[in-house]
Amino acid sequence: MSTVQLNNIRKVYESKVAVAGLSLRIEPGTMFGLLGPNGSGKTSSIRMMIGITVPDSGEVRLFGQSFHRDLLKRVGYLPEERGLYKKMKVLEQIVFMGQLHGMTSHDAETRGRRWCERLQIADAMPKKTEELSKGMQQKIQFITALIHEPELIIMDEPFTGLDPVNAALLQDTLVELRNEGKAVLFSTHRMDQVEKMCDNIALIHRGNVVLQGTMREIKSSYPRNRVEVVFEGDNSFLRNAVVEDAKEFGGGMATIKLRGDGITSHPDAQPLLAQAVANGTRITRFEVKEPTLEEIFIEQVGGNVDA
Amino acid sequence: MPKADSISMRNIWLIARREYLERVRTKSFMVATILIPLLMGGGITASILIARHSKSSSHLVVVSTSEKLGNDLQQQLNRDTDGEMQVDLIAPPSDRTRSALDADLKAKNIDAFLWITPSTIAGARPQLDYRQGSSADLATRNTVRDALGKVLVRDRLMQQGMSGKDVAQMMAPLQMSASNAPQDNTGANFAGAYVLFFLMYLVIMLYGMNVARSIIEEKTSRVFEVMLATIKPGEMMAGKVIGVGSVGLTQVGIWMLFAVLLTATPLMSHFLGAGGQITITAAQVGYFIVYFLLGYLLYSSIAAGLGAMTNSEQELQQLNIFLVMPLAACMVALPLVLNSPSSVYSRILSLLPPMTPLLMYMRISVSPVPLREILASIVLTSATIVCTLWVASRIYRVGILMYGKKPSIAELLRWLKYS
Repeated sequence: MSTVQLNNIRKVYESKVAVAGLSLRIEPGTMFGLLGPNGSGKTSSIRMMIGITVPDSGEVRLFGQSFHRDLLKRVGYLPEERGLYKKMKVLEQIVFMGQLHGMTSHDAETRGRRWCERLQIADAMPKKTEELSKGMQQKIQFITALIHEPELIIMDEPFTGLDPVNAALLQDTLVELRNEGKAVLFSTHRMDQVEKMCDNIALIHRGNVVLQGTMREIKSSYPRNRVEVVFEGDNSFLRNAVVEDAKEFGGGMATIKLRGDGITSHPDAQPLLAQAVANGTRITRFEVKEPTLEEIFIEQVGGNVDA
Repeated sequence: MPKADSISMRNIWLIARREYLERVRTKSFMVATILIPLLMGGGITASILIARHSKSSSHLVVVSTSEKLGNDLQQQLNRDTDGEMQVDLIAPPSDRTRSALDADLKAKNIDAFLWITPSTIAGARPQLDYRQGSSADLATRNTVRDALGKVLVRDRLMQQGMSGKDVAQMMAPLQMSASNAPQDNTGANFAGAYVLFFLMYLVIMLYGMNVARSIIEEKTSRVFEVMLATIKPGEMMAGKVIGVGSVGLTQVGIWMLFAVLLTATPLMSHFLGAGGQITITAAQVGYFIVYFLLGYLLYSSIAAGLGAMTNSEQELQQLNIFLVMPLAACMVALPLVLNSPSSVYSRILSLLPPMTPLLMYMRISVSPVPLREILASIVLTSATIVCTLWVASRIYRVGILMYGKKPSIAELLRWLKYS
């Protein structure tokens, strides 16, 4: 039984198509990344998943049932635009949200304290929310979404606005929850963040899914046609016949895309290396690898990113 | 098969409690709750003191060359002020009297003096010279003028040949007997309706608008999205109306308690006097509470809808006419209901939910109303409250996702159709 199942959901606002037929499944114990540039329809899709808006057509199923609001007790949600009661004290706020999800105040408080310690904000518990920094508030929002131990965790851009240390802390926490068997979905416009974390992804662009599948499938369907080089001296090897496109950066760094689609012809980096050596170029790094998600995305939408 | 979603009373209670505690704990609530009764109490005490003073307990000296006129005036003043005013008589004055009185006035030993010089021509008015010090007041002067008038009229009548008995009879104050008429409680009922009206008006303006404000605040702080993903908008609306409403009721309750304590003091009974007694029956109190609560809930629900439609305090200000108008309409219809409480118009008007709380209460106070009409009015108003909340939560749910611009009527209607 999938935790989330979207069947071809579609939403149109006025004349703008926000989501044009999205289908996906999220299984328990997996992490799903919903990727796309700003305004691509991520938030609209998420809002339909949790009943804030209703799709014009298509079906939303949670926990194997057609969507109804009582299922929301089993869902934890972190909205893109954070919202907390400013005048409330941190612990009160966490307990309040726990109670709304059906917990007793005692349980909510015990768990709230444990979470605050885990995310290193125990000192903030007696403070009012408005007295805290943005990063702290985000951690509190994070806790309020998780306090009731939801089976499905949905987070809209959870890492924006966090420093690297705290972003890593929240990422680790999400991975732990995934390992505990929860289904996790999050959206982000920063694709480099998710490669390590996600089991499945959907790349969306202007309301359309441009790429979907498991991380492994997607990566293996693309040939290892990228080369990253760090070199000194002559750069004429960048114009070798096997090179489709090369970008040279300062400090002797370059990324190269090789010719060959992996089906009719296989990309080969050897001639490149040979030419560089023959020309007396000093190579300090030469790595052949799969394209990154970002590169795949740009390739898919034909460089047509209006982020 | 989707399960029918039920409204959770627990969620309504949780929301209401949060709203209540957050507001009751603020300093402004405590200040207003304590300060306003103190101010009112102070105002009432001050007016009592002024009222006491208006009976004039001043010290007055009457100087008259005619001993009889002086005596008559002294007696009249004593009668009029129940002996409160201290009246000394100097008749006839000596040469030094004037300068002595001026000195007394300056030293504030006396508040005023009246120098009467009878006219040398028979029947003509005497010459009067009234001097007052800084401590004297208008009330003293009026009292003296009235008393002197009576004395002079009596004097003239006697001179015209009427007997003292006739004159006394003629000048006795008129007595209007009301004891034969059936006891009419309209005054008290009218007072009750006005108290209800002003209480409702005050509380609706203060706290009904707070419901709207708290909804707008939820939108600007973006909390609504988490809440919408957690509970039903209807629960949220109901919780807010009840929670913010309870704050208002708490405050009014405390004020009423102050008022009751104040009326229980001797000061107050002095102020009201013997005739100021208003008797209210237990049933009247019961109806008062029922209709006050219904009215309050109805208008708060309307306010909730207004809050759901708007994005800022300024926009809300433009819409609060929708709260004031029905209340004003009630005031316009009030005399009609009061004059003929059982007419068709009165019956129809009192069954219109926005008017029910005031007009039905009014009808019940002035004349017997069939129980079925009372029940019908309660059921109709309750149903309207639920409907209003439902509509408000619909607008809320859809409206918040289209923030930034004001909705047109067509859009509002479309929102209602969204699920």
